[in-house]
Amino acid sequence: MMIRQYFQQAWAQLRQQPLISAVTVAGTALSIFLIMLVVMMQQVKVAPFSPESNRDRFLHVKWGSITNEAWGESTSNGPLSVRTAREVYGKMTTPEAVTIYSVFSKSRPVSLPGQPAISVDVRETDNQFWTVFDFVFIDGKPYDQATFDAGQPVAVITESVARHLFKTTQVTGKEFLLAHAPYRVCGVVKDVSTLAETAYGQVWIPYTSTDQINNTWNEDLMGFVSCTMLARDRSDFPAIREEANRRLDEYNKLIGEDGWKFINRNRPYDQEKNVLATGANWEPDVKVERRNRFIIFLILLIVPAINLSSMTQSRLRRRISEIGVRRAFGCTRMELLGQILGENLVITLLAGILGLLMSFLFAYWGNELIFAQQYSMTLNPPTVDASILIHASTFGWALLFCFILNLLSTGIPAWRASRMNIVEAIGGKNH
Amino acid sequence: MEKKLFTQIRNEWHSNLWLALELLVVSVVMWYIIDLLYSRIATYMEPRGFNTEHCYLIEMGVLTDKSPDFTPYSDTHKQSDEVRELVERLRHRPEVEAVSLSQNSYPYNGSNSGLDVMYDTLHAPGWTIRRLATPDFCRVFQYKGTRGETSEQLAELLERGDFLASDNLYHHYQISMTSLVGKKAFRFNWSSPDDSTEYRLGAALQNVRYSDYEQGRFCYSMLYNLNLIGEGWINADNELCVRVRAEHDKNFIENLKADSEKQFRVGNLYISDIRSFVDIRRNYQQSYANELRNYIVGMGFLLLNIFLGLLGTFWFRTQQRHSEIALHKALGATNGDVFRRLMAEGLFLLILVTVPAIIIDIVLAQNELNAWHNGTTLEWNRLLLCASATFVLIALMIGIGIGIPARRAMKVQPAEALHDE
Repeated sequence: MMIRQYFQQAWAQLRQQPLISAVTVAGTALSIFLIMLVVMMQQVKVAPFSPESNRDRFLHVKWGSITNEAWGESTSNGPLSVRTAREVYGKMTTPEAVTIYSVFSKSRPVSLPGQPAISVDVRETDNQFWTVFDFVFIDGKPYDQATFDAGQPVAVITESVARHLFKTTQVTGKEFLLAHAPYRVCGVVKDVSTLAETAYGQVWIPYTSTDQINNTWNEDLMGFVSCTMLARDRSDFPAIREEANRRLDEYNKLIGEDGWKFINRNRPYDQEKNVLATGANWEPDVKVERRNRFIIFLILLIVPAINLSSMTQSRLRRRISEIGVRRAFGCTRMELLGQILGENLVITLLAGILGLLMSFLFAYWGNELIFAQQYSMTLNPPTVDASILIHASTFGWALLFCFILNLLSTGIPAWRASRMNIVEAIGGKNH
Repeated sequence: MEKKLFTQIRNEWHSNLWLALELLVVSVVMWYIIDLLYSRIATYMEPRGFNTEHCYLIEMGVLTDKSPDFTPYSDTHKQSDEVRELVERLRHRPEVEAVSLSQNSYPYNGSNSGLDVMYDTLHAPGWTIRRLATPDFCRVFQYKGTRGETSEQLAELLERGDFLASDNLYHHYQISMTSLVGKKAFRFNWSSPDDSTEYRLGAALQNVRYSDYEQGRFCYSMLYNLNLIGEGWINADNELCVRVRAEHDKNFIENLKADSEKQFRVGNLYISDIRSFVDIRRNYQQSYANELRNYIVGMGFLLLNIFLGLLGTFWFRTQQRHSEIALHKALGATNGDVFRRLMAEGLFLLILVTVPAIIIDIVLAQNELNAWHNGTTLEWNRLLLCASATFVLIALMIGIGIGIPARRAMKVQPAEALHDE
């Protein structure tokens, strides 16, 4: 009953003052639109979507830092060697699974014999990769432990690559040339967005089928691979970190005989911290990033809120005698406050839905502009779809920001209106 | 007249307070953004010390034993020979102007190595980039010497075994490298800190910037001939960079890819990827581009809010003052007077908040909370320029925001409005 009245009241107000209503709705929608774009820009990095549906359970060691007694203060920074990744992280028992894979996908020529080649992004992985990341297989299956250990030239390819090479996606068992070596397709997966930065590729092959193990620097300690652990639960993170540190200490003892020492920088990082780790030689500060995002949200809320406040204020001024009459007939201050906030919330929510819709459309059509990735090795654009953009939390955030914006923009005027002297209010006296 | 304006602003104090508050917040945030944009653009416009137009990066691949064409390397079959052969073949393509091999050297490169360049007791700064490249690297990226040396001359100096260094290497001692050109007693710390091999400085380079968003004065680098430090350094992991003649820079990537199978497979070596420096540059600087995009959108958002806020507030105001404006006109005020009066009210508010806004700007700059440029956050001329730009932009929005209701107010017909009086 009350809700219905809010709607009627809100609608009547919107119609009374078309220009002011337009300004109010535009201001609110604009604010929610930009806030939600900021939210989505962060969500594509940390919210789950296939093949990185377990992002909340990931712990990453993307890079490592190493020093030598002879170097003094200097450090060497970059991805790990297969040997290091295996010895330190590969044998861990606390996580559900650990995968080792090449740090970036590399562009490589792919073709059928005698036909022109195309460049595709190739990632070299182990067989655990397929446990940690949940790819959608539309044909065949991933390579298993035995195939991996034997270093067989097999490949998982995406739907698009399969179509390009063979004109169909049912191609398990067929052969093609990858970097001039024959590989057999063992599985076909749905295309992966470059936004799934850790798992992304167009073709995946066992790193034992190439020279990756010997592709090293700093005496076999550094190389070109990274490592991701899948925890059974987030609550296992401390135990996993503890095991990782213990194993790193042991490894440091071993390599310490030649003066080497790995510098930890508190790795492994969870997903939120890992996306900030664009370089190997520094530890990202998640708190600073969160604070910066908070400031952005604050500005995106406060500036329109001040605007809307002055608009609400003016609107309430016109209803002053109505408020007076209500109060005279026994409406309490709290009821009045609730009513004004409620009426405005209807308008805020309407405008908020508009803003949210705009942000979805904008994110979808403007993906290359909005989600352009930093320091990425691929030139392919970041594609987005509903599974990437729309999460339950997206709506939760939108709703939360609408509430805050409503409170900020209506709170003070509503509070002042509810404190008004009844006699003066009925008399129609301004403020 | 002015006195009336004051009275009017005071009378509308309550809604003016909101406006003033909004203008204050916006003018501080706007200044921050404009200051940042100014710093970025000023840095961007500086000379780069290199040129990547018409340049391409070729990635080499090596066959694995999975390939039927693979032949293992040996003393007589060396990877370095294959790499050199590939370079020669590329050099013979008619559209190619210069080809170089290098290690952690090309512009917009996230990987780098460091080196200390010592002269007597002088040391280079900690972040001095070591570029190891074949002499033609200077021609590919068109490096220039401080004394007018051309890329060709620089390449000859490298060929002779001299090294090159950016002019600012001893900047912290107030010594320019140009003044040390020709000196022979330079030492590097690359093999061991006590290495006593001495090198001659062939020329000082016009500062080579690390990227378009880093200032030349803070980018230190040295360049030495990759051919002179041992055969093992020439391998398939080297960066193979190509400059294409400007007049022939059409479909270079497609043409080279098409020919690569027949002409550019040398033993185990093949061309695995070709990228234009346009892409490499954009990719490397994406984080800066994203930042600029965010700030520009933020600026647009704030300006739009000012516009909406003033539009809404003054729409109300002209409605409320309907009869007052009519009276004003009845007593002989022209349309222009009415328009100017409303405009003056908005602009006066802006002038009023600009004073505290600039004070806040100065405090922020003193506390190093804004953008860095020329090694500082507080430069008075920059602050003044950016604060003025902020003022002008906001004034413009006020003009448009008030303009619309003011035009409506001008149309008030005194006879109708004062009908009841």
